[in-house]
Amino acid sequence: MKFQIPIGPQHPALKEPISLRMTVEGEVIRDADIRLGYNHRGLEKLAEQKTWIQNIYLTERICGICSHSHTTCYVQGVEKLMELEPPKRGLYIRTLVAELERIHSHLLWLGVAGHEAGFDSFFMYTWRDREIVMDILEIITGNRVHYGINTIGGVRRDLDEQQVKRILDSLDILRQRSEYYKHLGTNEPSFVARLAGVGYLSREDAIALCAVGPTLRASGVAMDVRKDDPYAVYDEVPFEVCTADTCDVLGRTVVRIKELFQCYNIIEFLLKNLPAGPVAVRAPRRAKPNEVVSRYEAPRGENIHYIKSNGTDKPERLKVRAPTLGNYAATIQMLKNGFIADVPLIFAAIDPCICCAERAVSLVDARTGQEKIISLNSLKSLSLKLSAGNKRKREAEWPL
Amino acid sequence: MNDQMVIDKAKASLGEKALDITNPAPRRIFIKLKVEDLLTAVGWLKTEMGFTHLATISGVDLGQTFELLYHFANNYTCVNLRTEIPRDQPRLPSICSLIPGAILYERELQDMFGIIVENIPDGRTLLLPDGWPEGNYPLRKDWKYERPPEVIPGGKK
Repeated sequence: MKFQIPIGPQHPALKEPISLRMTVEGEVIRDADIRLGYNHRGLEKLAEQKTWIQNIYLTERICGICSHSHTTCYVQGVEKLMELEPPKRGLYIRTLVAELERIHSHLLWLGVAGHEAGFDSFFMYTWRDREIVMDILEIITGNRVHYGINTIGGVRRDLDEQQVKRILDSLDILRQRSEYYKHLGTNEPSFVARLAGVGYLSREDAIALCAVGPTLRASGVAMDVRKDDPYAVYDEVPFEVCTADTCDVLGRTVVRIKELFQCYNIIEFLLKNLPAGPVAVRAPRRAKPNEVVSRYEAPRGENIHYIKSNGTDKPERLKVRAPTLGNYAATIQMLKNGFIADVPLIFAAIDPCICCAERAVSLVDARTGQEKIISLNSLKSLSLKLSAGNKRKREAEWPL
Repeated sequence: MNDQMVIDKAKASLGEKALDITNPAPRRIFIKLKVEDLLTAVGWLKTEMGFTHLATISGVDLGQTFELLYHFANNYTCVNLRTEIPRDQPRLPSICSLIPGAILYERELQDMFGIIVENIPDGRTLLLPDGWPEGNYPLRKDWKYERPPEVIPGGKK
């Protein structure tokens, strides 16, 4: 007996509204189908009507969590088109903000994962610590979400000695706290048991479906744009690409915790080796006809912009592929043969998004066509109840 | 594997099929192909060169033709296959049999440019809303958006 369950467009775990229709047999999902476009803003078309400078602020608004990713990706592409060489100090500050953004995104994601797994104190701890990063970002850039620090040819604000000291002090606290999260699993076996084995995505599938970011790295593929295709100053900064081989939500958690420590090291390196000099160079208003492919490792994965110029002050074409779109095909694979009760956790695992509003999932009986609305909270308690008696996962160990 | 090795191998394996190979920046290789040779080139990239990751497919409206760029990447470099199809016959072979992850990008092309992707496993609308008028392809250069007049329900006439 097969049933179809629609999830979305008002979606349990994603900020972006997408619609998923899942075919289930009992509790097991056999097939999933995806429908996008509920929040399509026509941004690529709009970008063709705005100037190069205006587009920085447009691309910043593609995403609220990784806003710096999109501007950096766009700006470094435009700099290549305009044949500009941004000063070293500007690039260092740009990279610093990028890594701070990665920390805040990963801490946010960890909180969401804890929340979806029914471990709400973890959620509150990580989000409290995330405020430290948000405060640093506010001190550096003046803003908490859309930093507005990038400009064509460099960055818009400089760092002073006091700010550097403040960031280094905060790093110590963050390191201590992350150390605690790393060892938390050992004392909290139910958390590990809830995550292990959920949302399985094999290495072959991850490669074939072109997954990106922590989702891909958790399936054992060491692919990171920062290493493979270094931009900004990543060719000077020592860091490691973090992977896991469990291919499940536990692996994705482990990758993100490991990456947090890499971020702290990168930031420390950047601040201690910050070169002196100007932070930006003057940019021309027009770009010669040319094209450029710009890649960037956002917290969620590879971000790619294709920019084509036509000699005017506006782009001929700006193609944006955000990491989440790259992961949708893989998400369908993860959902297959999983349980309905794992849906919130699997969704949350590809994409760190705030899920503050109460959303609903409607269950449709395929025989009678009757719909039953259950709230996310009851779905969550159902998921906790189901996973409680699962023997196989009880032996799972915290890998860190 | 560096850029020069990829270019040499492309010249050796694709031969005449590669109309133009450029390397404008480090780790950026552009290979121009005829649309008939696209599947051969993707197969060669995937099996012989290990470019398994398709980052995305970009479409550009050039007026008379549509230009398509398939951005492939691996751990060393990034190869972009470029092909052009005529605007009045916008047909393109699907590469989903080789790269299953291309499905969403191909569906996006169908929606936004009105390109017909042949042999696509699932060709339904992806992004455009239900009831979107036929023949409106937003990313074509001649498509202009006109905001429909606003009608407030129960408002002033």
